[in-house]
Amino acid sequence: MARFTARFFREAFHPRYEFSELIRQCFIIGYKSLSLVGLTAFIMGLVLTMQLRPSMVRYGVEAEIPAMVGISIIREIGPIITALIFAGKIGSSIGAELGSMRVTEQIDAMEVSGTNPFKYLVVTRTVAATLMLPVLVILADAIALYGSYLGVNIYEILSFKLFYTLVIDNLGYYDVIPAIIKTFFFGFAVGIVGCFKGYYSSKGTEGVGRSANSAVVMASVFIFILDLLAVQITELVWNL
Amino acid sequence: MANRTTDNVKLGVFVLAGLVLLVLFFYMLSKNESIFASRFEIKAHFANVSGLVSGNNVRVAGIVVGIVEDVELVNDTLVIVTIALNDDMRQIVRKNATAALGTDGLIGNRLVNILPAAEPAPLIEPGDILLGQKDISTEDMLRTLDQTNRNVLIISNGLRETIDRINKSTQLTTLLDDESLSLNLKAALLNLRSATGQASATMQDLNAVVADVRNGEGSVGALLRDTSFAWELNQTVRKLQAVENQADRLAQNMDALVKEVDGAVKGLQNDLNYGPGAANLLMKDSLTAARLQNALGNLEQGTARFSENMEAMKHNFLFRRYFRKMEKKKEKD
Repeated sequence: MARFTARFFREAFHPRYEFSELIRQCFIIGYKSLSLVGLTAFIMGLVLTMQLRPSMVRYGVEAEIPAMVGISIIREIGPIITALIFAGKIGSSIGAELGSMRVTEQIDAMEVSGTNPFKYLVVTRTVAATLMLPVLVILADAIALYGSYLGVNIYEILSFKLFYTLVIDNLGYYDVIPAIIKTFFFGFAVGIVGCFKGYYSSKGTEGVGRSANSAVVMASVFIFILDLLAVQITELVWNL
Repeated sequence: MANRTTDNVKLGVFVLAGLVLLVLFFYMLSKNESIFASRFEIKAHFANVSGLVSGNNVRVAGIVVGIVEDVELVNDTLVIVTIALNDDMRQIVRKNATAALGTDGLIGNRLVNILPAAEPAPLIEPGDILLGQKDISTEDMLRTLDQTNRNVLIISNGLRETIDRINKSTQLTTLLDDESLSLNLKAALLNLRSATGQASATMQDLNAVVADVRNGEGSVGALLRDTSFAWELNQTVRKLQAVENQADRLAQNMDALVKEVDGAVKGLQNDLNYGPGAANLLMKDSLTAARLQNALGNLEQGTARFSENMEAMKHNFLFRRYFRKMEKKKEKD
């Protein structure tokens, strides 16, 4: 895996670049995931608000719901849930696609024909996943906050202006910047794991399924580990 | 190829939407944190900052206008807090303002409130030092709360004793069990209501009377309001005073007269009792009285005879004519 990652960096910064394939992968990985991620984010914001409300009401701090939901979504839930959904959809897709290409010897054929399959298949998909996940997370955060706004308005009337004022007032760069940065790593993890599992798939069609499955599981674990590291590093860097 | 272009446009819109949202978000955050606003530094001295750290908000009139830049412990009684205020505060905050520690909400982050003073002062400048007010710490509040609890305990004990006494009081029980009490109370209330109604009516009448008096109607109104009446009354009083003076003088004269009469009576009495005159003799001497009585008897007889003589004279032809002439004249008058 480490060698695979090292090769990725070697190939990624070395011409020739597959821009056309990169754009296509960005469209497939990013744009085509938007509906799923958007729906999930909307429900996440709505449900989080509704679930949080009874406890907040019990302590008489229901006015803090927008602030609390805002911090939760921006800092943690938005990136993590979106990354996990992304891993489920894109990680498995890449793993299965590359796996099937491997077992049907398409990758071998590419090597024989002089095309660099690593650059064409792995680099483009990994870079696309790395670049598209942050965009998806930003959109998912916005959609989740809108869901939360609707969730608050189920029980009380709260203007949108006050809602976003309460959210923004309780957020700072400390909350937003690390949350955005870590999503690049999440995207990279999903892309590289999916490609790794698919690229080295074996044992026929059974291996394709296993590659897809293990790509999702491994990417999800990586996401949590990276999240833990991101929190620690953020604490360390911000307190310097 | 057309599909590819459409996909690229969709991708472009997708990425652009994400970037626009990100920029918007950062813009709102920067506006909130005033990260691009130019600031100037001032200092505030505190004895205790109660957990204030750099980065905490600074408020003027409840609006965040800066942040705590640094908190430095100088010695055991002095903490110097460096505050970065937005540049526009140079036109608002004054040199005699004070800094007070506060909390964002009941359990929120610590913050510094800059409070204006009542007296006028020049506007603040970079490097100025604000005096910090003593913070009301949670410990102080708890201490006060403890004292309040003790007082409440004393009050509740007293209340409990009073309620025990009320519960044990047979008189009160009797009073409460007395069914007639409520009826009497009801009747009394009805009477009170009636009396109140009457009093109200009386007050209304009184108000009407007072209004009449104010308007100068009626005798009292005229008395109080009519100036001519007052003048006449004044004149009357003056006349009464004159009459009184005259009566006084008359009384004095009468008094003198009475004294004179009294003296005269006393003199007369003295003369009657002890005087050498005929009166004394007439009153004291019984013989003289008898003689006088006899003389009077003789005089009466003489008078009767004289009347007979006069009657005889009327019928006498010598005097008859004269008497008739006298009667006619008398009838004419």
